[in-house]
Amino acid sequence: MIRVRATFEKCGRAKYISHLDLNRCMLRTFRRSGLPIWYTEGFNPHPYYSFALALSLGFESSCEILDFNLNEDMPNEEIKDRLNAVMPEGMKIIKVAEQKQKITAITEAEYSFSLSAADTDRLLGDIQTLLSLPEILIEKKTKKGVKTVDIKPSVKVMSCEKTDHSVDMVIRLPAGTQTNFNPTLFIDALRNMGGETFEAEKIRRTGIFCENNEIFS
Amino acid sequence: MLKDLIEKHLLEAQKPSRYIGGEVGSVIKDKSKVDVRFAFCFPDTYDIGMSHLGMKILYSLTNERENYWCERCFAPGEDFEAVMRENNIPLYALESLDPIKDFDFIGFTMQYELSYTNVLNMLDLAGIPIFAADRTQKLTQIVVAGGPCVCNPEPLADFFDIFILGEGEEVNLELMDLYAEMRKQGASRDEFLRSAAHIEGVYVPKFYHFMYKEDGTIDRLEVSDGAPEVVHKRIITDFDKVFYPDNFVVPFTEIVQDRASVEVLRGCIRGCRFCQAGFIYRPFREKHTDTICKEVKCLCENTGYDEVSLASLSTSDHSEIDPMLTALLDYTVSERINLSLPSLRVDNFSESLLEKIKKVRKSGLTFAAEGGTQRLRDVINKNVSEEEIMNTCRIAFEGGYSSVKLYFMMGLPTETDEDIKGIAELANRIIDLYYSIENRPKGRGVQISISCATFVPKPFTPFQFEPQDTREMIEHKQKLLLDTVKTKKIKVSYHNPEVSMLEVILAKGDRRLCKAVYTAWQKGCKFDSWDEYFNFGKWTEAFAECGIDTSFYANRRFEYDEIMPWDHLDYYVSKEFLIRENKTAHKSITTPNCRLRCSGCGVNKKVGRECF
Repeated sequence: MIRVRATFEKCGRAKYISHLDLNRCMLRTFRRSGLPIWYTEGFNPHPYYSFALALSLGFESSCEILDFNLNEDMPNEEIKDRLNAVMPEGMKIIKVAEQKQKITAITEAEYSFSLSAADTDRLLGDIQTLLSLPEILIEKKTKKGVKTVDIKPSVKVMSCEKTDHSVDMVIRLPAGTQTNFNPTLFIDALRNMGGETFEAEKIRRTGIFCENNEIFS
Repeated sequence: MLKDLIEKHLLEAQKPSRYIGGEVGSVIKDKSKVDVRFAFCFPDTYDIGMSHLGMKILYSLTNERENYWCERCFAPGEDFEAVMRENNIPLYALESLDPIKDFDFIGFTMQYELSYTNVLNMLDLAGIPIFAADRTQKLTQIVVAGGPCVCNPEPLADFFDIFILGEGEEVNLELMDLYAEMRKQGASRDEFLRSAAHIEGVYVPKFYHFMYKEDGTIDRLEVSDGAPEVVHKRIITDFDKVFYPDNFVVPFTEIVQDRASVEVLRGCIRGCRFCQAGFIYRPFREKHTDTICKEVKCLCENTGYDEVSLASLSTSDHSEIDPMLTALLDYTVSERINLSLPSLRVDNFSESLLEKIKKVRKSGLTFAAEGGTQRLRDVINKNVSEEEIMNTCRIAFEGGYSSVKLYFMMGLPTETDEDIKGIAELANRIIDLYYSIENRPKGRGVQISISCATFVPKPFTPFQFEPQDTREMIEHKQKLLLDTVKTKKIKVSYHNPEVSMLEVILAKGDRRLCKAVYTAWQKGCKFDSWDEYFNFGKWTEAFAECGIDTSFYANRRFEYDEIMPWDHLDYYVSKEFLIRENKTAHKSITTPNCRLRCSGCGVNKKVGRECF
């Protein structure tokens, strides 16, 4: 059994494929590719594969991680090409490699998005105000109900640039098996300030990281 | 661009992937190189419409032609419809995301009567005039319909330019060819429709004018514009060689029939007298085992589906059923593909067949017994004896099954209280059988589910002349059945009789019903086949406002010599035959299946040879 890790992008119309649907979609993609996928050896054998992180419906990504196993070794380029030949529009394998780190090593994910507004100076001011607050309390829905969380210590702003019609941001948030913060939490907190009205667009996951800012691979 | 507007609001919809296309297997073309654009519309939601095999066939067939582009279009769910109306998003096709009002053909498949109001709603959402008479004189936006319901399309006649009768594989392309040619010549809409009326299978309703008698029945039909007096349905003669898609559009979201599907036979030899499909799809034709295996393999490889089903009205009537299943199972088992086999009949269910099926099928057994007593089963020509039902149940129980689902109809012609009690008695005897079997599943009780539908007489069946039971009669029979069932081992479920009451009106109705369909839609009726939307009260108001006496269509016997609203449409099953079968039914005499003896329905005259 050969363990394989594929990095793929999910853009365009493919961003409307929900996580549940993505599972079914990959199963069929594997079957179309004719790759020697490894099946579990249980009462109900099924191909084994898993996604490192779920991606919210409507988000694009350039760094999704898919792990699966093959019955026989083959060149990574060939695996990539055979999958790409049968992938849906908007989904593309960028890289196939060995599984270096465990999924549990993931600590952060990076997102880029664009906040379009009429008065971008005012919006930029709102963002600076929000980030200077001692705490940013948001209500987060969990399986156990709604709880209040302070996301202030977790938000890392990587860049924040003003253009004519928008403020474009890149932020990092906790991700992985422990805590997952969705960028909409930050965006909603900004909206709840009641400042300049804006629309959040082009939300895209741009990176998955481990401890010490190391790119997950 | 419409795409941007759609995307701006798409996440406001539930299951947005239904509204954006981009699925594997969908066909994208360069529209500047396309001559004719066809919007194939299914008048229900994506999840249901995407399961329809006819659409898959005609979609692929049309797109094989480089200069024709067929795209898909479905009724949006209520949530997204509201978003579309609020933001002025016209109904669009899923491949190009272009509005369907700009298409050459807008084609609907009419699979059930309760989808009629959805057609009106979709036309409205598309910004296409709902009445054919209100559309442009230019040669564009031709609204057509096919499918089983168009065997009596009169309640829809005012809304469509063309109905296509019978099988579409040839006639659709002929119609598009004619369109492309005539548009090049600068023809008008009417000139095109006049020419189209001469293609076999094409019915242009506006050239047919009904005159009525004082008692409301049809007096005569006048045909204008040189259209043919009788329109014949289209039949594919060489079914083994007919086009079959080598790929399906594979949806992201789950749909009702989420699997590959191969049509193994068309038509049915059985002649159950209530069954419209059994008559309008004649003659019986089948594909060779080799063809079926090839198509199964090809579809599974191209789609990546791990499940395939065999589609037909009665798969076990295939003359090569045993070798076919053996060959298919060889392939599917080795490729870890599930083979699903709907439409298996009780009477030719052999032990060896069951053994094979058991390998792949874990679900329960379902039998359509339809009638509770042998007398009634003889009336409806459901040639299944109690002995056969018992025999099959025995094999199934010995094979480890402990639940059986039985389908019945209520309100069948000549039905009495005895027949209704017979349903419960039959179920009781199956329970007794279960406990008499030594090697029955250990430690498990038996569960019999009885599902009762209300009988709907349909055109082109021997029961087309029959009235439907009134609401009082149906309610009496439902209560009687519930009172007769005395054990928890039997579960009884019903279909809502009001649904069947509406179905019969639309199935047997004439052109005067168009305004009622329109009025019902205006009152908000849509998705009538969905329990949560069905509103019989609004329909009743609509009929009343249009001065329509529903019992005239639903509860009146249509005389043998009466002109039916569908008599000018020829499905090759002769009216003489239907009358003969109706009389035989009333004498409780059965008619053997077509393979045993030809009953002279008339279809072989068209085929030009014996069917068997």
